[in-house]
Amino acid sequence: MTLVKVAPPIEQDVDLTQTYDAVIVGSGAAGGMAAHVLTSRGMKVLMLEAGKKLDINQELRSMQWPYDHPRRGDAPPGSHHLSFNEYTIRKPPYAKGAAFKHVYSYVGGWGGSDYVKNILVDEKEHPYTGSNYAWVRARCLGGKTNIWGRLALRLSDYDFKAKTHDGYGEDWPIAYADLEPYYDKVDLYLGISGVKENLPHLPDSQFQRPSKLNWGEVKLRESLKKAGQVLTPYRAGVTTDGLKHNKYRSKCYGRGACDRRPGGCDIHAVFDSPTGLIYPAVDTGHLTVRPNSTAHACDRRPGGCDIHAVFDSPTGLIYPAMDTGHLTVRPNSTAHEVLVDKNTGRARGVAFLDSVTRKSYEAKGKVVILAASTLESARLLLLSRSPQHPNGLGNSSGHVGHNFCEHVMGPGVTGLIKELVGKPHTLDDGRPGGFYIPRFRNLKDRQPGFIRGYGYEGNSGHSMFPAHVMDTPGFGGQFKRSVRDHAGAFVSMGAFGEVLPRYESYVDLDPETKDAWGIPVLRFHYHFSDNERKMAEDMVATGREMLEAAGIEVVGTDEKVLTEGWSIHELGTARMGNDPKTSVLNQFQQSHDVRNLFVVDGSSHVSASCQNPTWTIMALAWRSCDHLADEFRKGNV
Amino acid sequence: MTDAPKHPESLSRRDMIAATAAALVTPLLQGGAVSMQPVAGVPGKFLTAAEYALLDELTELIIPADDHSPGARVAAVAAYIDGRLAESLEPDWQARWRSGLQAVDGLSRELNAKPFLEATPDQRVAVLTRMAAGEADPKTAPERFFGELKGWTARGYYTSKIGIHLDQEYKGNVYQRGEFAGYDAK
Repeated sequence: MTLVKVAPPIEQDVDLTQTYDAVIVGSGAAGGMAAHVLTSRGMKVLMLEAGKKLDINQELRSMQWPYDHPRRGDAPPGSHHLSFNEYTIRKPPYAKGAAFKHVYSYVGGWGGSDYVKNILVDEKEHPYTGSNYAWVRARCLGGKTNIWGRLALRLSDYDFKAKTHDGYGEDWPIAYADLEPYYDKVDLYLGISGVKENLPHLPDSQFQRPSKLNWGEVKLRESLKKAGQVLTPYRAGVTTDGLKHNKYRSKCYGRGACDRRPGGCDIHAVFDSPTGLIYPAVDTGHLTVRPNSTAHACDRRPGGCDIHAVFDSPTGLIYPAMDTGHLTVRPNSTAHEVLVDKNTGRARGVAFLDSVTRKSYEAKGKVVILAASTLESARLLLLSRSPQHPNGLGNSSGHVGHNFCEHVMGPGVTGLIKELVGKPHTLDDGRPGGFYIPRFRNLKDRQPGFIRGYGYEGNSGHSMFPAHVMDTPGFGGQFKRSVRDHAGAFVSMGAFGEVLPRYESYVDLDPETKDAWGIPVLRFHYHFSDNERKMAEDMVATGREMLEAAGIEVVGTDEKVLTEGWSIHELGTARMGNDPKTSVLNQFQQSHDVRNLFVVDGSSHVSASCQNPTWTIMALAWRSCDHLADEFRKGNV
Repeated sequence: MTDAPKHPESLSRRDMIAATAAALVTPLLQGGAVSMQPVAGVPGKFLTAAEYALLDELTELIIPADDHSPGARVAAVAAYIDGRLAESLEPDWQARWRSGLQAVDGLSRELNAKPFLEATPDQRVAVLTRMAAGEADPKTAPERFFGELKGWTARGYYTSKIGIHLDQEYKGNVYQRGEFAGYDAK
């Protein structure tokens, strides 16, 4: 049962004889935003989504108790979710040779989650090659916004002008002042929850009611405040007060359904039984077990909200855009080439396969907008080779696929709040997130070991599954009592750090390997550098200091950096810039080479910052599409 | 297009209570009698009757009943594990459980000169204590099996009705009205 009883809008018939004003590839945060802005400006838009349109509430089953599911939420036999061990000791394509019928990325934990099997791609159909990378892809209407982590942060001029600050990389072609009005628009249109802190490096949003901190979090906040640092309630892309203008979304009712799963550890740190068994026995000898893993989300559902208080692209952006009468959505449409007019060199449409029938089609558009995700948009540009664009479309600079960056994560700490041991159990997890400690490194100081910074995401309090159970030694009555008494008495936090964009970090097309649709796949050339490793060391040491200063005993630390890609914050493969020789897009995410081609997703970001990118992706897409609609009206595109 | 309310905000109190009730299908059970239904959708059984009895005893020793809540036996943890084993497509994993349970009996014979279920309660605890001794760094077959056994027992127990509602007294997964619990960040 769900509180929102409004059915999705009736779909318009797809007319491929028509030339649409714009064809958008992708339906996630970026594609949804492009559709919203352009249709609100009266443009006729066709959106192509490679995946299915799901009955998402049926997929998420947000309130289902573990014991009402035959496998307590785990995926059925024959499905396997890749573990940290596998990402580490094997090389892509990870599903190659797997005995399992379906192989998915790590999202979901334990035996893999039954709630994401139709949202995530099957790695068997979607291989990639090259260096180790945990690439999470969601092919369905709304993409990854259906299960995203909800932390909705702004960037600041510490990010946009990072080169000016420390000399590394490139500045963005925009400043915070350019984007601020669009952040405001995103906040007001989609809803965001948080507390104003007046920080220059983490600008405030137009917040709705914040979620509250619990006892341990307040204790940590007070201690940090003495040291001039900030702990703020999770800034969640969640409407806590409701949105009068959107009939598809409810306000948040504090169910905590977005941050809960029946149990298990999403990095398979605790116990990893099925993992070693799907591949030849030779691999199993190398499996490593990560100790002290309580800092990780052993209790987390893959996200998602069946009353859509959490922003997702379909209910937040796409359905309202359909209600304008200007948006046509075609799911099951696997785009494989941006088509170019032979005479003018301009984009004229998109070639795609029906994902089910595999028949070929062409969609015609006056403007083509790529919003397929950082890596898929880069892939599409590289696939779109023509005599005018021999290195791929919009790639005269040679920078498409390069300057690839993201967030490094894994390091974190767990502390025990002694005052809470043995206390009555309280309701702590009925909220979209715990807390966030914004970046504090290399703002005024200069760290000797690394440039840029990181922030911590953290959480404390009771949850459905006592994640500390496997770190509680022994068995029997004492063990059981200890698990009970310690439930809710932990605070854990893990860092997300900026990964520097480097030209040598890139993806290109694999010359041989193809996906299940016969389309060449991406090959990764991507590794963390010393800057990330030094930063990771600081994440652990500083986290420990923070907890200890608050009188919280550190009971676990995670030192290991998770596999590249784990943050699901990939960025930068078609960066913006003022110089067409060193950038792919201008400040409006418009191709330097092809005026009617836009790339409005995370691939346009010039640097990763350490703040989660979704809100910035949407603010940028809004700004660019506003500009595009102006220019379109003037006939300049 | 639809006869739904214009704004979800206008949902009635009745709607919300119904939604919560639908989610909270089981009333919280107060001590005493607990009716356990077999877990739906899990086919057949993998373990023999003797293996099952051994597993059932082992799970109860790991998470026993106490004055606060029932233990793994009443929470049907062995049935849950058996169900997962039965439907598994991983013969290696199934074999590991079979040999693991054998190793428990083997260790009991070594320590007590009799199979586990024929040993006294103290002797059984002695066997598990030996298995748990290497928990941090398991070396022998029984020590390695202990981690698997404990892990799945915890999974089964703390995802059961008894584990969630009676032992952990979990308060969430409900529609909250008004302000949520906690403190304002001030």
